[in-house]
Amino acid sequence: MHGRLKVRTTAEQQEAKRVEREKKLKIYTGATKKAFEKRNNREFDEEALKITGEILAVNPDFYSLWNFRKEIFNDFKEKRPKEELDKAFQDELYFLETCLKVNPKSYGTWHHRSFVMETMPTPDWKREIKLCNTFLQYDERNFHCWDYRRFVVGKASISAAEEFEFTTEKIANNFSDYSSWHYRSKLLPILHPDKTHPSGVNEEILLKEFETVQNAFFTDPNDQSAWFYHRWLLGRHQRNLEINTMFVSRKDRRVMVTTTKPVMIDCNNPVALKINDKEVKVEWRNQKSQRKYSTLWLADNVLVPDGSINIQVLMDTHRISQLLSLKSDESESLFTLPFKEGNRFSYELTSSTSETLQRELEAIVELYEIEPDNKWVILTLMSLMKSLDPLKYEQEILQQISHLQNLDPKRKTYYDDLRSKILVENTLEAFELNQQCLDLSDKKLTVLYHTSLLPFISELHLEGNQLVNLKNFEFLQCLKNLILDSNKICDINGLRGLNSLEKLSLKDNLIQDVNDLKVLQTCPNLNTLNIKGNTVCSEDKSLNELRQLLPGVSITS
Amino acid sequence: MASQMKDVEIPEKALKELLLSKHADYIGAYGTKKDDYEYVMTEYLRMNGIYWGLTAMDLMNQLDRMNKEEVIGFIKQCQHESGGIACSVGHDPHLLCTLSAIQILTLYDAQDAVNTEKVIEWVRSLQQDNGCFYGDKWGEVDTRFSFCAVACLSLLGKLDCINIDKAVEFVVSCMNYDGGFGCRPGSETHAGQVYCCVGMLAITGCLHYIDADLLGWWLCERQLPSGGLNGRPEKLPDVCYSWWVLASLKIIDRLHWIDKDSLIAFILASQDDETGGFADRPGDMVDPFHTLFGLCGLSLLGNKSVKAINPVFCMPEETMQRIGIQLDLL
Ligand SMILES: [Zn+2]
Repeated sequence: MHGRLKVRTTAEQQEAKRVEREKKLKIYTGATKKAFEKRNNREFDEEALKITGEILAVNPDFYSLWNFRKEIFNDFKEKRPKEELDKAFQDELYFLETCLKVNPKSYGTWHHRSFVMETMPTPDWKREIKLCNTFLQYDERNFHCWDYRRFVVGKASISAAEEFEFTTEKIANNFSDYSSWHYRSKLLPILHPDKTHPSGVNEEILLKEFETVQNAFFTDPNDQSAWFYHRWLLGRHQRNLEINTMFVSRKDRRVMVTTTKPVMIDCNNPVALKINDKEVKVEWRNQKSQRKYSTLWLADNVLVPDGSINIQVLMDTHRISQLLSLKSDESESLFTLPFKEGNRFSYELTSSTSETLQRELEAIVELYEIEPDNKWVILTLMSLMKSLDPLKYEQEILQQISHLQNLDPKRKTYYDDLRSKILVENTLEAFELNQQCLDLSDKKLTVLYHTSLLPFISELHLEGNQLVNLKNFEFLQCLKNLILDSNKICDINGLRGLNSLEKLSLKDNLIQDVNDLKVLQTCPNLNTLNIKGNTVCSEDKSLNELRQLLPGVSITS
Repeated sequence: MASQMKDVEIPEKALKELLLSKHADYIGAYGTKKDDYEYVMTEYLRMNGIYWGLTAMDLMNQLDRMNKEEVIGFIKQCQHESGGIACSVGHDPHLLCTLSAIQILTLYDAQDAVNTEKVIEWVRSLQQDNGCFYGDKWGEVDTRFSFCAVACLSLLGKLDCINIDKAVEFVVSCMNYDGGFGCRPGSETHAGQVYCCVGMLAITGCLHYIDADLLGWWLCERQLPSGGLNGRPEKLPDVCYSWWVLASLKIIDRLHWIDKDSLIAFILASQDDETGGFADRPGDMVDPFHTLFGLCGLSLLGNKSVKAINPVFCMPEETMQRIGIQLDLL
């Protein structure tokens, strides 16, 4: 079905082909019939091997016939003397090799080979590695062969170090061998494990890898394989699971917890709440309607006694907990995970890492001077700047994003979202999470990232951006005042269930239909709505409908 | 050794209109010549082929042209005593064809035509201690089978009969440094496998394991200058990736990272106006597989002349609504 060019043929050629195919088909259907007959009669013999072999040689995806051959070999194993058995298995391996030469990408053939190797009494695993070498020489991207190789490596007790050496050779031979770069990313955590590092690999080793990969992209800066690998080496954004924030309000009788990664709270993963060391029964919910993994969990109707108290959240399944104190004169209290400015969204770099990345940046700048219009160079330049100091390099990064959008217009919207992410992250780097008001206006944001960090803000300014929808706004559980003027919003379903929302301004957006505003019925405290400058306002009928949908809300149109 | 971009060129005179009635005629006629060479040679794919054809017809609102009774009768004959369903009569049961069969029966609202309890029990029996699934009793392991198993059980309303946590754990262990997934732990990322794993995590409600920005970037980098999508770096574009890549992007809410117009042009250029149907790329031979995925791609890209397709199950949204399956995507 793949790569079969359609060729124009004459009627004469077509007729010749038809006759030939008819002949072939007759033989083929006859053989298939015979093979199934023998299988039904449990005739596990040489003839069965011969017939199925002839069919599989032309049609290796005929899986039921591979299964028949497996049955035959299982039968041989019980009945045949050792020498005969050895010979039969050797012949089978030889047969499989000829099949693979014709069709090296058949799942069935490779699986049958692993069956044979696991079933035969004296398998020669080292020989299989040589076979893999041959097939990978022929096509270094054949993932069937790579997968078979990993299976063989496990059986032949070949060390990860030897395999790592193999990938080094393959890469030296062809830098654009994505499969080998991939394999390295799997071998490094085995060879040099470091559980504390986000990549699972020892930092010094990662730094050494920079040299190898630099070699590759200096030779051919247009090849993406090395750049994807480089991006992985730079990737330090993963965090361990921790309690990111914890909030308690005496007035609202509410406890809110956010975590650095999504968690589930249910009967299998209970979370205990203790007030003054005594467990209090609460019901946890998240911002979604369904029970799902989330980074935000809330407990309402919590009995918070008067006076100074200690509140503790214990996530036993994850072995993490957080203590928070609320003094007698305080109505609420907030804990936020401490971080160094510039590292809220990334792993803090050690000095040796900073040095290496600094050198890496210098090298890329050098390459950039030769290749100013290479998108991979620019992308890497940006990632390095971001890893080193996102605030210092902000302007340069934003300029490069505009440059990328010209160079690579197919991915313009990806770069739009990337810019939005960087701008929000940089704003939040300097933002104390206990502040009430956040201003993100006039930033050309196409998407709002990191709302999960903002469940406490009560006022959010987003006017003058390019938002089209309000995905992930359900995290904003304390939001009272939301300003969305002059965006491109046509979908506000993200506001579903925002209990605290009082004022919403949607001036100059793209809301067309009253039904698009129906979701506001789920915001019980909404009292003011501005929808001036949306097409929905053009008809009085729609406005009347809207007033009926939202009684008690003061609507400006 | 400078790398050369692998891509195709779309000819100036390439088709720019969707030839719906030709495609419907092509699928409608496919399989009427049962002794055709191609047809006989692909018997090991028969069940999948029927699913591709029927879904394509349904997307074009032409399902009633197909012979429902014949199809259902055929599926009944393909159920094995073990409970699994084979690709054709007399062949062996396998998860790949079992899912296709259940999809067809769901499309026809006729799940009861087979012994569903035995299907469920058979699927359940293929799960292993580490959470993975065998494709059949012979023990091949692949994340494709994890998808087939949960999709099948979900359509039959019996997802909870397997160890879901373990099944998810196995799929997550196949995640790679580029955010994608391979066949088994350690395997390289491949867009088809990405679709299976992302779909599996969507069905089990575990999409939070995915780094959507990282994976989304890798997926949108599959788009080549011709507008077509490939399945791995340095490979040629292919219409079927308009499904594997686009559906994955849709599930993780990053579909807008693709340049729609040029992809639509690539898909339309892969039609054949003589025979009907879509090929893998412009100028190649058509087949039902690429015909379905060409239509599915266009559906995801917003073409209103085909029905809306569900990005996880690759079945019409209206069918999913009828059986009451609504998944939360990212
Ligand atoms: Zn294809």
